[in-house]
Amino acid sequence: MVPEHGSNTGALPLDDVLGAVIRHANFLLKKYHGGYVVIRLALGGCTNRPFYRIVAAYNKRARDSKYIEQLGSYDPLPNIHNEKLVSFNYERIKYWIGCGAHPTKPVAKLLGLAGFFPLHPMTITEAERRRNTAAVTEGSGTEEQQEDHETEQQA
Amino acid sequence: MAAYRGTRCLLRCYSRIRGINQNSQLLNICAKRTLCSASPDNGTQNVRTPQFQDEDVQEILTRITGLDLQKIFRPVKQELKPPTYKLMTDEQLHEATQRAKEEARKRLKMPPVLPERQPINDILAEDKILEGMDTAKYVFTDITFNIPHRERFIVVREPTGTLRKATWEERDRILQIYFPKAGRRLTSQPVFKPENLKIVFQQDRHEDILDLCLVQFEPDSADYIRVHQATYDDLEKQGKFDLLRSTRHFGGMVWHLVNARRIDGLVVDMLQRDLFHKRAHAAATVILIRSAQTVQDAADLVSLFNLVHPQSESALEAREQQATGIDVLKIYGQKESQRTGYIELALQAYQQTPLESSGRTHPPQRLSEEGYVTPVQEIC
Repeated sequence: MVPEHGSNTGALPLDDVLGAVIRHANFLLKKYHGGYVVIRLALGGCTNRPFYRIVAAYNKRARDSKYIEQLGSYDPLPNIHNEKLVSFNYERIKYWIGCGAHPTKPVAKLLGLAGFFPLHPMTITEAERRRNTAAVTEGSGTEEQQEDHETEQQA
Repeated sequence: MAAYRGTRCLLRCYSRIRGINQNSQLLNICAKRTLCSASPDNGTQNVRTPQFQDEDVQEILTRITGLDLQKIFRPVKQELKPPTYKLMTDEQLHEATQRAKEEARKRLKMPPVLPERQPINDILAEDKILEGMDTAKYVFTDITFNIPHRERFIVVREPTGTLRKATWEERDRILQIYFPKAGRRLTSQPVFKPENLKIVFQQDRHEDILDLCLVQFEPDSADYIRVHQATYDDLEKQGKFDLLRSTRHFGGMVWHLVNARRIDGLVVDMLQRDLFHKRAHAAATVILIRSAQTVQDAADLVSLFNLVHPQSESALEAREQQATGIDVLKIYGQKESQRTGYIELALQAYQQTPLESSGRTHPPQRLSEEGYVTPVQEIC
């Protein structure tokens, strides 16, 4: 964490000046008013090839810029074995959550899937929505097949 | 993921990797823990069957392996440098040899022999509501720094919604991605397929393939055990035991052969080596000491056999007669071995040598192609 005050030792006027300089320098280092630490995904990788790092950073920082600590990674594209690789440093995640960090929605979903958090309600909702769309497309697909059959029989 | 893949370069060197020592130490501890907790195999026996890691077994195996410094420190393919020459007194040379022997003993540390690992079939959660959430599996790894790899959590969330522990193959692959070991590949080399192993054996490169296997696979994986057993069986079939002598794999080979009760070839090889030395240089007393060593090796091997199979005929006989040294060999030759005649004759010849070498030198007898001395052929 960024220290708020500089050193206060010494009674010489030189030290006072130095102290003032340090305090002003600290002002230059961002002090976020009402800011908090988040655990979120920082995007990296190349064009058409995303790769996320799971990162503890200040809320106000840019998404991909300086973070406090990297806590893991997430590769959204499946590999040859049809796996999406996610890594978590659970010990450090526990520390940051203990410090009051807020995980974002995708991070919370991933942690829910991992079994570290309870399941996120949106994961369940999305699964249900996918099943519904799959059922609908299947239903329409079978209807189309039946229509094709009938047209063939008629012709 | 791309970053991990892209920056790995293949090391095609067959030199011994230091990291295996730490790994093998941990595995030794794990093996000891599991062995201590398991009950003994035979309920009727009071004594536990000797395992590979036992002190006395290890002692016998290190003695049989030998310490050929020329072979251990033979030139390995590395960066070309001009050689360094040192001028030493006899004392310094002696000290340097002692240090070399210590280093050699470290290099001869035997890799662990473990039973094949049981497949992992642990399901942590069944969430039917997540059915169809995605087409791909999610693999979650714990990258906390200070945990041993065997205790790391690697779980897989299937598209059906089940959360299960990763299988051993998945574990090996994922650990290699996040904690890469030098020389290990994500997919195993095609050399380890049975048809390719045959070609390697024809080229007499058993030691190299065993070193590669040690780097690539975990000691309790099925592939490791399969490759090692294939190598040992091929060596035993062709009788080329000397390829592994004075390497770290010799102990493992001897252990495999002893457990399979197929030590005849090895005993004969040791005795042959002894005879070959004697016939080639008939008058030298130094060779007597070396030949005594090989016969002692054969006796050690048979005593190990008796340790591991205490119910066999030769073991019972040896315990009855309280036999030590060459007598154990004789008993083994009579009771268990297929090539009884050869072993008996070799022992006779060994016992006769002190009488022969003290007096005249006799002309070296002609050796036949297999290295057998002609009188033996009449009997065998």
